[in-house]
Amino acid sequence: MADSPDGDLKYVGRSIRTKEGRAPLIGKAKYTSDYAFAGQLHACIVRSPHAAARINRVDLSAATRVAGVRLAMHGADVAALTDPIPDYLEPALFGGKAAAHRCLAIDEVWCYGQPVAVVVAEDMRTARYAAARVQVDYTPLEAVVDAEAALAVGARTIVPGWDDNLLMHVPFMHGDTVAAFESADQVVSTEVKIHRFSTQPMETRCYNAVWEHNTESITLYGTSQNPHPLRLVLAQTLRMPENKIRIIASTIGGAFGLKMHGHPEEGLICLLAKLTGQPVKWLESREECLLIGAREQKHYIEMAVNNDGTVLGLRDRFYANTGAPSACPGWGMAFLTGLTMPGPYKVRDIDVQMHAVSTNKPSWNAARGYGKESTAIALELAMDNVARQLGVSPVTVRLKNFIGKDEFPYDSPTGLLYDSGDYAGAVEKTLQAIDYDDCLEEQASARESGRYIGIGVAFELTPEGGAIPGSMVVGYDTSSVRVGPDGTVRLLTGVTSPGTGNATGIAQIVADELGVDIDAIEVLQGDTNASPYGFGNYSGRSTIVGGGSAALAAQDVRLMIDKVAAALLEVERSSLVLQRGVYTSTADSSASVTFAEVCYAAYTRAYDVALCIDPPLEATRTFRPPSIRHTPDANGNINPYPSYSNAAYATVCEVDVQTGQVKLLKFAVTHDCGKVINPILVEGQACGAIGFGIGGALTEDVRYDASGRQLTRSFMDYVMPRMSDMPPIAVEHHDMPNPGNYLGLKGAGEAGVGGSAAAVVNAVNNALQPLGVVMNELPLTAPRVWAAIQQASVAPTPGGDQ
Amino acid sequence: MEDLLEQSALVQWRIDGELHELEVVPGASLLDVLREQVGKTGTHMGCRTGHCGACTVMIDGAVAKSCIAMAATLPRATITTIEGLTAADGTMHPIQQAFWDAAGLQCGFCAPGILLSTAELLQTNPAPNDAEIDAALAGTLCRCTGYQSIRRAVGEACVRMYPDAAGE
Repeated sequence: MADSPDGDLKYVGRSIRTKEGRAPLIGKAKYTSDYAFAGQLHACIVRSPHAAARINRVDLSAATRVAGVRLAMHGADVAALTDPIPDYLEPALFGGKAAAHRCLAIDEVWCYGQPVAVVVAEDMRTARYAAARVQVDYTPLEAVVDAEAALAVGARTIVPGWDDNLLMHVPFMHGDTVAAFESADQVVSTEVKIHRFSTQPMETRCYNAVWEHNTESITLYGTSQNPHPLRLVLAQTLRMPENKIRIIASTIGGAFGLKMHGHPEEGLICLLAKLTGQPVKWLESREECLLIGAREQKHYIEMAVNNDGTVLGLRDRFYANTGAPSACPGWGMAFLTGLTMPGPYKVRDIDVQMHAVSTNKPSWNAARGYGKESTAIALELAMDNVARQLGVSPVTVRLKNFIGKDEFPYDSPTGLLYDSGDYAGAVEKTLQAIDYDDCLEEQASARESGRYIGIGVAFELTPEGGAIPGSMVVGYDTSSVRVGPDGTVRLLTGVTSPGTGNATGIAQIVADELGVDIDAIEVLQGDTNASPYGFGNYSGRSTIVGGGSAALAAQDVRLMIDKVAAALLEVERSSLVLQRGVYTSTADSSASVTFAEVCYAAYTRAYDVALCIDPPLEATRTFRPPSIRHTPDANGNINPYPSYSNAAYATVCEVDVQTGQVKLLKFAVTHDCGKVINPILVEGQACGAIGFGIGGALTEDVRYDASGRQLTRSFMDYVMPRMSDMPPIAVEHHDMPNPGNYLGLKGAGEAGVGGSAAAVVNAVNNALQPLGVVMNELPLTAPRVWAAIQQASVAPTPGGDQ
Repeated sequence: MEDLLEQSALVQWRIDGELHELEVVPGASLLDVLREQVGKTGTHMGCRTGHCGACTVMIDGAVAKSCIAMAATLPRATITTIEGLTAADGTMHPIQQAFWDAAGLQCGFCAPGILLSTAELLQTNPAPNDAEIDAALAGTLCRCTGYQSIRRAVGEACVRMYPDAAGE
């Protein structure tokens, strides 16, 4: 089989426009909330106004009397018909505590906004009106809001039966930190406070459950990143066999982790459809969406350093405020923060103590970065502090401590196996992209004229494609390639798209493997009755394992088609050339047959030319990245990640010292995601994640009052970047292919949040260095920056840390 | 329910070229009427507080947030939704085509605000600078792109709508 002589015919590596195509642009894409069925009912959820309270009584009578109301239920009603929601990721797998997660609270509420009752009515207005008539009698309890206070002796335990509020404590230790700290020239301490900020996709969650009377089964149209695993969760919650549940995850309007499952509404809405025998829809309000938290951590970092900038040892004690226990996988972010230490740095002696704490704040769910962004924020702020204390350049400190590009594969002190990378090379490319030396000159001249310009640098290591043994977070996935008798292709894959364009990337791979036009490929994702069993979208895995498995399946089908083509043309298979949909042969210049004719023959001539294959032209294959290792090594460590994407960031900002306002002037990133399938899509992922980081560093913040009531309830309070807040971003690629994965893929999508946030904070601190201001508490909102400047001008503490 | 009917208002709207006479209940937003009574599901609910712009439509030629426009306050209006940007024969508007070719959007949920704000800007300004683009699109939040690809696609749309103005 000769390769196509025309390299331009390959799709991989090119910026192909998306397979999503016209639909979203002409307003015809069907997002979950766009589905409406005959007899459609609507649900409205009654939520707790208290962070912690005993439920004495739920009175539904006034709600059920409202005309148009079909059903109203409280926690005990629902609990009689359902089982607790299984954890997406069980804390017990890591030695943590267990709690029963219910669709509606029974006896006690653990956080503000927790579902307490539900009303189903013929239209949304009636449902909302009736929900307001539900009377709940609460006895408020003392709310436990702060993570460290939650661990104090005498703190109220928020889950009955627990002996304290520590969901989990995991030490990540390696080497001899005591010796490292004793031998170092000095110890630099940095406290980093990462706040609660959220993903907030523009499409909120929506579930529309249909009771199928003919098969006595449920079809759930839902905003789900992981339809197959959700099906198992629903089966257990609803006490139904898994094969009586179908999930259709339609077009998704952004997910970023928020649409991973474990949410109480998923099972609840299905139950309501089953009980009413009619379709029931629930559309999350933005206020409800803002309840879902992530990321809040307080780090106490110590770095043992020599005066030349070498970091000898790392100690970090950190506390993650994971909110009330939930079946969603959010708490795992805290674990990943510890596991990813010490990131890109060649520090062997580490003592990192992770504390995941349960409180009466609303629960977390997964959020882009999945804890690795917090590792980057904590480490990169601490590295800048080291540079400040030693009086050396932040660039020098990083270059001095990076793992060298010839040191891969690299065994990290927490047991990870980094596949490849060139961290110093990525930083150098980034500095060039932002004209670092020019920036330094500009900064110096600006300072003379009383302007405060700062330059910030940061690095981020983002393990991608994670797999946790014993859980539904797996490292592999599966695709089917089906070629029809007309030569068109159906590609069904177990990975889903939250709107990132991964269908396009996977189709590019399949088009190249099959030798067909990309427009001949239809990609199907997200329907559990169509796709092979798959695990959906998370951890930058979709192109690694979706693309890898689709490539294997396409190779199998291509072999079948080649065999039939050779039989039809009566030539050796090795002499075939497929170009622009036509098979020819180097052995016989008169031989010619179209790809479509070969496919037709494969289906219709099973007893002569197609005897050499087993029709139909279909194959289903799995790609299991080989470098994941779940058998513990001598130290008891596993390697849950197949690839380690990484990126270097630099930004330039100007701080208005009169107002505290931060304006970003320039931004550059160099990204290593391995082989780039589609540059425009990878750039889109990187810029989107940087938007999260910039928003998180400067404005996005979910706030609570002292009693645990959420103050941030709309986009008036939750301030995300608008177009004018985003600087132009210079995106460079620095691809060091992953030797273990198909085409050297490493994954894209998660990198960007933590590194960019850290670069922004470092830039602001750099700008305000002449004033002696150092802020390591996010976000750097204008009032906070202004207050820090005022405080510093009263009592100047140059170079000091707060 | 009787009371509601007595208070309901009759409105006459030309929506994407088609005349509709509708009875709307007090308090119903233009967004809800468009989605639920007219079936224009291309217009999206993102926040219901007027901040995100996913519900953007044009009312009498000017962009507006349909989630905070009360239907009953618009007795007669010409309304263009994202679906109305496309020609009757299905040909995409040059802005839509530019956004597809330049991969301007990812999930597409914010498309109503991004595309209609771009259309409003380019109606009167064939060669907007970055600050003018930022100002025109300030009413819509996009969470996927970091806006970089949107800026690129708006530039591409300018070139397609005003080939003679390119290069200025």
